[in-house]
Amino acid sequence: MSVIEVENLKYRYPDTTTLVLDDLSFSVEKGECLGIVGENTAGKSTLCYALAGLVPHFYKGAYGGKVTVNGLVVREHEIATIVENIGLVFENPFSQMTGAKQTVYGEVAFGLENMGLPRKNMHTRIEKYLKLLDVYSVKDKNPFDLSGGQMQRVAIASVLAMEPEVLILDEPTSQLDPQGSKDVFKVIEQLTGKGMTIILVEHKMEQIAQYADRVLLLHEGKQIDLDTPEKIFSRLDLKEFGVRPPVVTSIAQALTIRYPDTQLYPVTIQEFKRLEEMK
Amino acid sequence: MNTMTLYVERNSPIHRLDPLVKLLYVAASILLTYILPEPLYIGGILFVTFLLLIIGKVFRNSLPIVTLSMFLIFSLVIVQGFFHPDNVTELFAIGPLVFYEEGLYVALVLVMRVLVMVGAFSLLILTTATDEMVERLIKKGMSPKIGHVILSVLQLIPQMRATMVKITDAQRSRGVETEGDLLTRVKAFFPLIGPVVLNSLNETKERSIALEMRGFDSPMKKTFLNEAKQYPHNKLIAGLITGIVILGIVWRVFG
Amino acid sequence: MNKNSMWSLKLSTAAIVLIPAAIGINYIGKLFASLLRLPLWLDSIGTVLASMLAGPVIGAAAGIINNIIFGITADPISTVYAITSAAIGITVGVMAYKGWIASVQKAVVVGLVTGFVAALVSTPLNMIFWGGQTGNIWGDAFYTFLISNDIPQWLASFGDSIVVDVPDKVVTVLISYFIFKGLPNSLTNIYRQDSEIEVI
Repeated sequence: MSVIEVENLKYRYPDTTTLVLDDLSFSVEKGECLGIVGENTAGKSTLCYALAGLVPHFYKGAYGGKVTVNGLVVREHEIATIVENIGLVFENPFSQMTGAKQTVYGEVAFGLENMGLPRKNMHTRIEKYLKLLDVYSVKDKNPFDLSGGQMQRVAIASVLAMEPEVLILDEPTSQLDPQGSKDVFKVIEQLTGKGMTIILVEHKMEQIAQYADRVLLLHEGKQIDLDTPEKIFSRLDLKEFGVRPPVVTSIAQALTIRYPDTQLYPVTIQEFKRLEEMK
Repeated sequence: MNTMTLYVERNSPIHRLDPLVKLLYVAASILLTYILPEPLYIGGILFVTFLLLIIGKVFRNSLPIVTLSMFLIFSLVIVQGFFHPDNVTELFAIGPLVFYEEGLYVALVLVMRVLVMVGAFSLLILTTATDEMVERLIKKGMSPKIGHVILSVLQLIPQMRATMVKITDAQRSRGVETEGDLLTRVKAFFPLIGPVVLNSLNETKERSIALEMRGFDSPMKKTFLNEAKQYPHNKLIAGLITGIVILGIVWRVFG
Repeated sequence: MNKNSMWSLKLSTAAIVLIPAAIGINYIGKLFASLLRLPLWLDSIGTVLASMLAGPVIGAAAGIINNIIFGITADPISTVYAITSAAIGITVGVMAYKGWIASVQKAVVVGLVTGFVAALVSTPLNMIFWGGQTGNIWGDAFYTFLISNDIPQWLASFGDSIVVDVPDKVVTVLISYFIFKGLPNSLTNIYRQDSEIEVI
């Protein structure tokens, strides 16, 4: 069974008239990394909210269809139950700090305290994820004294410490400096390597191409396509949906460097080089 | 990081007391100034409070807090001293101003009461870490959400102050006048407060999403990272304070 | 909206997170007012806004916690007026719910009522704690004037509070009203406690 199943999902925010999500249906397998691309009005964030239960529980509004996460029907469960199965990290690291904790260590503990995890299990978990996210050295600092990149990694550690099945990253680096983004992507690479199921929304298509197994292309709430990065980024009508392919793909298109069997263009530098040599 | 509490970290027996016992002391000392409203008794309570501040090694830290209420104290002495309705007995005069015994007596009681309030309260806040107090209150049944609100305000305000400085500079450089006649200054208020409000409300939305994703609304019984501190002699001290209050009431009724 | 929802104690996370923001706004309002040397406190804009956005329960909670926080971080005296702040939150919350923030004129009425209620609640507190005064120079001067004209102490004390509270609350409610009207729908509707999920 798939970890995430979305069937005919429709959604409209309160006091509005247009559907932000218009009849989406797809599934995500365990261990898969799904990239979501599209322009700003495509509904990417709203889809993330729908997977995490914030839509409809937090935002209310009009809802149709069915989302199942780890066997749990999102519509029928409280957010507090859903978050034990799916975690969400979004772009602003600052507002993801709870504000009630004076140390990074306590910050990571926050979710575990709410879950009612016994104290003796807390320390091992907190330390495990602080180390995984490479923020163990700042564990006694005040979260608000950290750099944006560190703060974002603390946010990821805090969500992962709750040990969800799926992690949603909604533009996790768009407010970070280059070094901060690099550190966060290093973590994403590690997590995909460990077989974590990840949903990644990202503006930098190079990163999508690098990590995503499949890419969901959205436009004005509608599902345009769901396929491998090579298929999606080789689409000639990509510009119509406000998405530009990775730079390597554009170059490959100009030089007609492609896979001989499928006629698709490469999406990563490594593949580009390999195909170029073959040619 | 500036978290704006007045807590002073010291090693003293007062610091080691249960925050709830200190809270009880605040309530009891204020209550006693009403049960026994004579200067002698209030003076006694004031003396004990100051003594505890000294034992807690925070007497000097309490002085700025007391100073904050100086205007109120000054105003009490002047107004009650001159104008209390019961004034008949002239005590002394400075030029045309006549101070009356009755008014000054009332003022004395009021001033000492203000000092007890401020002193006892200072004792609590100077010797108690806010998170320790909040966790104690949550364990005694206060909503964890209210606890969260209290703790987060203490971190939020220094950050809003930083935002405020940024916005003030930005608006000044855009030509918003913050000096001049009253109308000019009133006009400046909106461009200054508007962005801070919008910014903090937007942040509210994101932060509530983040909290939801961390199980903030969970119906599970919350656990705590920090082990509960042990407070020796807790019951004894609480009993003692309650006993003194009851004794005061008995004294007042039958004495 | 049904009748119960205004007083519902089951509060959404958004409404709870609004409380610290409201307290921060109170504090910033007060700082800006003193920075601009305005003759008013303007230290309850956040409480008033929270009441308009999320109703009387959140408004009252914001008011009470505001004064407790201010008590433990700066001035213990302010803790006494937690009750007044709660009354301000409740008054604005109820009046907003009943449709009294539909226009500027109505908002002025809300300000007047709020100021009056604040004075009404403060008077017994001032009587109990400081023999009727407020510690505000204009208010206390007015108090002195009334007392020396043989006005009963409680009435003089009420006069003292009225002078202090009414102008401040009228301006505070007006400022909050203008801010409230400028907020986008997508922001204001997350604090409401009454929305239902519609099925499509």
